[in-house]
Amino acid sequence: MNYLVLYHLTALLLLGFGLFGLTARKTLIGMLISVELMLNGAGLALVASARLTPAIDAVGQIGTLLVMGLAAAEATLVLAIVLVVSKRYGSVETIEISNLKG
Amino acid sequence: MEQVTEYLKYPVFGIYLMLIIAGGLSAVLSNNLIRALIGLIMTLFGVAGLYFLMSAPFIALMQILIYVGAVTVLIFFAIMLTRVPDGEAGMEKGGKKLNKQFLMALLSGLVPAIILGIAIYQKMPDGLPLKPETSIEILGGFLVGQYSLAFELISVVLFTAMAGAVLLGFERKDKK
Repeated sequence: MNYLVLYHLTALLLLGFGLFGLTARKTLIGMLISVELMLNGAGLALVASARLTPAIDAVGQIGTLLVMGLAAAEATLVLAIVLVVSKRYGSVETIEISNLKG
Repeated sequence: MEQVTEYLKYPVFGIYLMLIIAGGLSAVLSNNLIRALIGLIMTLFGVAGLYFLMSAPFIALMQILIYVGAVTVLIFFAIMLTRVPDGEAGMEKGGKKLNKQFLMALLSGLVPAIILGIAIYQKMPDGLPLKPETSIEILGGFLVGQYSLAFELISVVLFTAMAGAVLLGFERKDKK
């Protein structure tokens, strides 16, 4: 098994952890942590593809840098949304902040 | 020296992989959100180690700076500021582990991972040996030259996110 496959399987592991956590978590903050795991896996796959295939190296590394920037922006917005939700509903549990019945 | 490096790369990869797995399990399974956050930090350090192993030290340092330094602090603030009046900060309700939601979550994590894993295992081309390290000058040249539009757009996205966060966080004073 070569290194490219190993790195991509590691990235896939992070994606699996993230998807599992996103569904299993009961609070918004736990879901945010899972999303960060998934984004990290995406960055790892990008850098591995850039470093170990004939692709242009700098493009992959800059792409990962942009993914990190997007993750930081997303974390900022989710922090603000979580604060508003917790002020309005008094809780950040996903089961309590749903208004639709069914 | 060359042989020693060649010999060491599998154990080092294994150590980083253990860090990632242990941190990831703790991040998705722990009832205490602070412990989950520590697990996330462990995973981020493991991924940074993998970047070092791929001789991309700039990305590894950015990972430590941006993720470990900034994003986890933001998540920590989110945990700290949302504590419920009668409970401890950052605790999720435990309950029994093997309920329907847990099984569904296991399914939703495993099915894409297995499908993509089979695809990776069968279709992935042979990796090249590691290329020489790309210097920061070349990366910066890409950012201000050919990919300057992406660079500007990410700064606009960051600014919009920050402004939106501030706007959402404001208490309205004229509320009756």
